[in-house]
Amino acid sequence: MKQFLLLLKKEQLENIRNYKIYWIPAIFILLGIVEPTTNYFLPQILESSGSLPEGAVFEMPTPTPEQMLAAIMEQFQTIGIAVLILAYMGTIAGERKSGTATLLYVRPLSFKAYFLSKWTTASVISLVSVWLGFLAGYYYTFLFFGEVALIKVLQLIGIYSVWVLFIMALVLVASAIAPNSGFAAAIAFGTYLIIQLIDGLFGLNWTLSPVKIPQYGVEWLTGSPNSSVWGAIGIAILLTLLLFALGSWTAKRNKAKTKV
Amino acid sequence: MDQTTMIMALVPIFLIQLALMIFALVDLVKNPNPNGPKWMWGIIIVVINLIGPILYFVIGRKNY
Amino acid sequence: MNIVEVENLTKRYGGETAVEELSFILEKATATALIGPNGAGKTTSLSMLANLLSPTSGKIIMKKDISIGFLPQYPQFFPWLTAIEFTELAAKISGVDIKQARLQSIKTLEFVGLENAIHKKVGSFSGGMKQRLGLAQAIVHRPELLLLDEPISALDPTGRREIMNLLKSLQQDTTILYSTHILNDAEEMTDQLLFMRDGRLIEQGSLKDVKKKHAAPYIQIKFGNSTYALEFVSNHTWKCEVKENLVLLPVSETGPTMQDVLYVLSTEKQDIIGVEFQDASLEEIFLKVVANK
Repeated sequence: MKQFLLLLKKEQLENIRNYKIYWIPAIFILLGIVEPTTNYFLPQILESSGSLPEGAVFEMPTPTPEQMLAAIMEQFQTIGIAVLILAYMGTIAGERKSGTATLLYVRPLSFKAYFLSKWTTASVISLVSVWLGFLAGYYYTFLFFGEVALIKVLQLIGIYSVWVLFIMALVLVASAIAPNSGFAAAIAFGTYLIIQLIDGLFGLNWTLSPVKIPQYGVEWLTGSPNSSVWGAIGIAILLTLLLFALGSWTAKRNKAKTKV
Repeated sequence: MDQTTMIMALVPIFLIQLALMIFALVDLVKNPNPNGPKWMWGIIIVVINLIGPILYFVIGRKNY
Repeated sequence: MNIVEVENLTKRYGGETAVEELSFILEKATATALIGPNGAGKTTSLSMLANLLSPTSGKIIMKKDISIGFLPQYPQFFPWLTAIEFTELAAKISGVDIKQARLQSIKTLEFVGLENAIHKKVGSFSGGMKQRLGLAQAIVHRPELLLLDEPISALDPTGRREIMNLLKSLQQDTTILYSTHILNDAEEMTDQLLFMRDGRLIEQGSLKDVKKKHAAPYIQIKFGNSTYALEFVSNHTWKCEVKENLVLLPVSETGPTMQDVLYVLSTEKQDIIGVEFQDASLEEIFLKVVANK
């Protein structure tokens, strides 16, 4: 615990001094705002671009506010997660590659504390970014498309947060395994895409699959909660805990790979 | 929606993008050892909207 | 008291043997120099002692919960931390209590000569400053065992001298094992010598023993010309060697002492240019040992 707090402070300082604490939230806020805004102005943009034949009447169904929030989440699922992977791919692999980890590894270091301090910091920044992004997006959706009950939005944010925590554990495990940052990003991206692909292809009846968490969030937004949502969340938490164990163990096992 | 509300809605988007750009540029100027030539990063940050500053922070910064 | 006992330590990477059957003992509060050419296995050996690498076979027996300080040859630091922030973190991870850690960090940074850079970010440090900070982080928690990989080879002669003096002042209560290829400096701080080549230990012992074994010190008499030298040799039964106008008398238990030589010379009216005590340098010995094996 003592080492966890010590290392947590180090990670916090790092994230402040490399500005991640500022630019990651900024990107999520932007993603949240841009989606409803472009949707709102899309008909006007198309009209003014003159690509429509003379006299054609442009009819496009106006999205509901719920659809807009789902679209924002889609942005987070693609660009948002990509940004998080790129931002944290080097967390462990980079320290080993550069040799900065060596001076920590020669000490009686708890690799559990080491891994968890990194996951906690990355997760806090990612979660705050996602929340701010959703709230900003929610405000814009309200402005352009109408109201959604705040409680519904908070539900979506809450459920999606579990998914983000799981993904961050995945990113850090990738960083513990890989010999360098690029490799870590490849492992994280690869796994992220493959689990979605597998779930999409074969997982029609896998109602407890954590991959369905974002989708459940959207379903709850528009109607009633899927009965499997809590089960899926439980499994996601369980998997996250397993990833902690895997990450600490791999980080320790790979300590010999640090540059001396 | 009237004109003013619309402008009020659009202003934050430009402000955030501008802030990221300025932030990245200031950091680039102070960076003693970026990952690649400074002028190249300068162009990337200014020209490629949003992605430019992110690329700089992720790849170009080298954590000095 | 033995702080470390190394028995048949071996490290292989695939088919390559980096270290083979290394055995030695480090006694409490002694300094041991690990000497050998590049690629001899010094860094690998130190990394195993620092518990960064696990040996392929063999044993390292250490006192339980021994505290270790390690300085890699090229220490790398988080550039965004200040010197004090890093040494404090290092001290705390090594178990120094929170209040002590700050005090000890400041003291240590002053000790290594970084008093003007305590609050500077390490990213702005020069190579020499990083080497000093490297030493600081290795000693900030007052380790019982200090492992240093080429601690002075990256420094200029003045810095070298300074750091050697610092290390010598630590020697009283710290067990030091350091690798080096700058043999002149090693000579000043060595209770034990370990010569390595191709992953193997080719010679070990105290500086005195190794010198005695491979190159005993001798008394050198320089005569005006070689005739006097030969004359001197024929007049005495001492075991000696003649090199033109030089006579070399090895120092040994049965041989003459400096006093004997001076006494004899004072009674003989010969053309003498000088009498000197000559000691083989570590470098000569090392070259000799490496050539012999």
